[in-house]
Amino acid sequence: MTRRDLLKSMAAAAAVSAAEAAFPGIVFPAQDKAAPAGGGPPAPALPNDPNLAWKKTPCRFCGVGCGLLVGISNGRAVAVKGDPASPVNRGLACVKGYHSVMALYGKDRLTRAMVRKDGKLVPVPMKEALDLVASKMAETIKSHGKDAVAMYGSGQWTIPDGYVASKFMKGAIGTNNLEGNARLCMASAVTGFMTSFGLDEPMGCYEDIDHADVFVLWGNNMAEMHPVLFSRLLERRLKNPDVKIIDLATRWTRTSMAADRSILFKPQTDLAIANAICHEIIRNDWVHAGFVRDHVSFHEGKTNIGYGLEDKFTFKDEPKTVGFERYRELLGDYTVEKVEALSGVPARELRYLASLYGDPKKKVMSLWCMGFNQHTRGTWINNLVYNIHLLVGKIATPGNSPFSLTGQPSACGTVREVGTLTQRLPHGDVTEEKARKLAAEIWGVPVERIAPKPTYHTVEMFRAVDRGDIRFLWIQVTNPMVTMPKLRRYRDGLKKDDRFIVVSDVYPTPTTDVADVILPAACWIEREGMFGNSERRTQHWDRLLPPPGEAMSDTWQIIEVARRMGFEKLFPWPEATHIPDIWKEYTRFQAGPEHEMAPYDELRRRPGVIWPFVNGKETKWRYNGQYDPAAKGAFDFYGKPDRRAWIWFRPYEAPPEVPDAQYPFWLNTGRVLEHWHTGSLTRRIPVLHQAVPAAYVELHPTDAQRLGIANGQRVRLTSRRGALVLPAQIDGRARPPEGQVFVPFFDEALLINELTLDAFCPISGQPDYKKCAVKVERA
Amino acid sequence: MLRRGAPMPIKSYLAYPVSGRLDELAAALRRLPGCEVIPAVNRDLLVLVTDSPDEAAEAALGLELARVPALQALALVAGLGDAAIDPAPPISSARHSSGGRS
Amino acid sequence: MNRSRYFLIGLAVLLMAALVAVAGQSLIAGREPARVMPVTAQATPTLPTEAGMYARVARAADYAAMPAEPNRKRTREAYYARRAYPGAPPVIPHPVDERQAFGKACLACHGEGGWVPRFEAYAPVTPHPEMASCRQCHVPQAGQPAFRASDWHTPAPPALKAAAMPGSPPPIPHALQMRENCRACHAGPGAVDVLRTTHPQRVSCRQCHALAAPAAEAFARPLTLPSPPGEEREKTP
Repeated sequence: MTRRDLLKSMAAAAAVSAAEAAFPGIVFPAQDKAAPAGGGPPAPALPNDPNLAWKKTPCRFCGVGCGLLVGISNGRAVAVKGDPASPVNRGLACVKGYHSVMALYGKDRLTRAMVRKDGKLVPVPMKEALDLVASKMAETIKSHGKDAVAMYGSGQWTIPDGYVASKFMKGAIGTNNLEGNARLCMASAVTGFMTSFGLDEPMGCYEDIDHADVFVLWGNNMAEMHPVLFSRLLERRLKNPDVKIIDLATRWTRTSMAADRSILFKPQTDLAIANAICHEIIRNDWVHAGFVRDHVSFHEGKTNIGYGLEDKFTFKDEPKTVGFERYRELLGDYTVEKVEALSGVPARELRYLASLYGDPKKKVMSLWCMGFNQHTRGTWINNLVYNIHLLVGKIATPGNSPFSLTGQPSACGTVREVGTLTQRLPHGDVTEEKARKLAAEIWGVPVERIAPKPTYHTVEMFRAVDRGDIRFLWIQVTNPMVTMPKLRRYRDGLKKDDRFIVVSDVYPTPTTDVADVILPAACWIEREGMFGNSERRTQHWDRLLPPPGEAMSDTWQIIEVARRMGFEKLFPWPEATHIPDIWKEYTRFQAGPEHEMAPYDELRRRPGVIWPFVNGKETKWRYNGQYDPAAKGAFDFYGKPDRRAWIWFRPYEAPPEVPDAQYPFWLNTGRVLEHWHTGSLTRRIPVLHQAVPAAYVELHPTDAQRLGIANGQRVRLTSRRGALVLPAQIDGRARPPEGQVFVPFFDEALLINELTLDAFCPISGQPDYKKCAVKVERA
Repeated sequence: MLRRGAPMPIKSYLAYPVSGRLDELAAALRRLPGCEVIPAVNRDLLVLVTDSPDEAAEAALGLELARVPALQALALVAGLGDAAIDPAPPISSARHSSGGRS
Repeated sequence: MNRSRYFLIGLAVLLMAALVAVAGQSLIAGREPARVMPVTAQATPTLPTEAGMYARVARAADYAAMPAEPNRKRTREAYYARRAYPGAPPVIPHPVDERQAFGKACLACHGEGGWVPRFEAYAPVTPHPEMASCRQCHVPQAGQPAFRASDWHTPAPPALKAAAMPGSPPPIPHALQMRENCRACHAGPGAVDVLRTTHPQRVSCRQCHALAAPAAEAFARPLTLPSPPGEEREKTP
């Protein structure tokens, strides 16, 4: 310690003493440079390792996007702390984040490429595997056309991964057969945004939490799924006891325990409840007339829109512009009394909810995730929650915030912003000539190469593989052989002869089990990258560790294959600088005050930067003239041609499969705090595996008693598509209501998706994992 | 007292945020050059330690501090100089014997 | 005489009118649609392991302000000395009134904790205040010599510093039953000194601290997927 350091310590100690004299009981964290803002836990004692360096990165897991500091020592990650400089989590993480780096060290890590020869996977040099992938892809295009090859990526792809995938599939090969697992996660949120506002992603940011008076959680178990954000809600309430957290859900969870009020509704009736709230708002004259008059227009679409159960299902909406009176008339069926009968929520509680939204003195933040998005009317329910906020003018200002939470760490940054979906380009849709021209110009390809018609969304893409319309599929950073709904059809499909499946992953999974080629991938901090989280914050990390064996980043795998197929000119970047080079090229697509991205150096320096990043400033609240340089006037919903936000009337429509005499229970699926998705990473972290070692089925105690099932006993679940035997859990982590069961999907030995249904929202293509019918028996 | 012309002092302050804006204040202060911030865990108050290389930087820092919108008040506690002289004693020498920090 | 009586009556009438006017105005102005939390038909059940960490959460911020009291700390040795084995109900180390076997008397000190001048100590806080029959499990010691010698051995208490990596949040080494309320034992001056949390104002404890199950089999492939009825399953490679 230098003399200067000593003097600084003395000065700090003097100030602390002065504070203690003035405020008895005041507590300061232990003297540590990493002291968090706003009073977080002091940095814990760490071993004296002179080689230990702390490096910043966003967390590998959920869509909150916590900033972490990873302790690197001698080429290994050895510790994690929350980054106190990150405005997202302010030094806090959750149990997954704190142990995240342990996921890199599972003993069965894929370090060598594997190729299936005579039914068996044999290791081959990486170069040989890449040669094979390229030649197989070229051969398939030659014999069956460019739409016979497809790529399936992920909301856990980094932004460069998604960008080169898009350039490769859409710019080089010229096919729109590019999808990402965010289709199964956020697609309805996207179409919700597009239909209501014309532009994707929330207009507010996490800072809304610091201003809101009421938090309404719609169908999401935020305490387990966005835990660090939920802690921010709890902290807000601790400091302001009048703040209320309302849990509106289909089952009681940890979130219900922490909430001020938990209100249960019957599955799918969220549509009716949202309309009932709008009805009450209008009936009580709580409408913000000026806001509606100046910034809102009213619309109606098709009803009875189907469920996508048949192959090649298509849907095209027929929007009609209507007026407020017509909208009010259509809401006539949604009185609180009628909705009480439908949803099981007492009329008094519906009125109470409406009064919270309608009270002009209360700032309301609505938060939702998979309950809304994994829904056969997911686009509609997203529209409806915006309707509520728009009617009362509670939007795009600090604290008044309908906030669509994202599930994955970069569904926003990669799949949505880069556009790794069949209908998207890095800016605009493939159907828009202007967008194709821009892409052609930046990519340096003839505009005719970019296909103007979308091909398949994810479920349809896997159906196409099953039918043989797609013969080559490259899967990266996702595990569809655990997550596809109605799993058996799609597993059988991928296993058919004459389907060439390439899988890039970090560990063996049920998806690598059906692969013809396995490419070992560098994981997270083993390569440089960026993620984009729920609040439009792009976060960068350097390469902190070498990947093991021959593992290679997904970005570089795609570049290597593309070069082998003759596209070197489109992927010219040298390896040493390819990430900043890619960033520079990608950000050209997003230029302009509506989406400008921060320059590379800024991203490296800061704990993330929110876009739009205009003239050195983040646009925290979009569409609001006070904060958004792209907005003209007080509010300007510039995504729509009429520069207004669109209220869509959407009715309640029942799900395609409801419980009946033969299959009398609802089956709901989801996650638990400790495991991420299919568990391929988190189950190899001993602490997390020990906490929740295997899947189970949650039962209501009354149902359990009636069926003669005790806690831990084996239960058989049967649906029209499959059956599974699992241990029962009664009043453990959560309690479903009577007539409903819940199963987490992290366990590859208990494939609950063999029972689920591949119905989807016709507008977004996103399947509904929360509602199908099962039989429950003692096994 | 500091000898005139000596390398500039290290100063510590108690910084009071405008009501409810502790986090904003901490973030803003951290961005200023030579500033170290230690927020209290259970009070809206933080300790600011500044370290400037010379007079000019110290003066500039003073202006920057005055411009921080979330800062309500700044109370100077100690000024120490990295020169070959004894440092000035802290202005507040009251000590409270209870624990709470290591 | 008449005059003053009329005067008084007039004054009374005036005052009455004023009263009615002011009260009425105030009543009308103060009227607001009732926005009270409705009593709901479906009561939220309590899931003890989930709700426990949020119990008594309103006081969480107070814990941070409490002094550390290094001279009066409760040690781990003293803690385990009162328990026959880790997890046993502790014996009552102070004299008790035999007539007070049920909750209220004990909760006066052990419900919320605090400094007890009589014993010059901070009272430990019970994690299960809802259990009303305290003396059913907690008994005082009469201090007599043993009736006969005993060869009782007790398992070692869970180790400290079980964090997976340096600085990680340590997992919970004990079962949660009747110990769902973390703050009761891990916050405040009544807590055992080495168990005292540095961050009592964080209330969602199990967000970071996982439950450590004793030696569940480590995750490893190959797995045998259980077969549904009438179907054969392949083994994973």
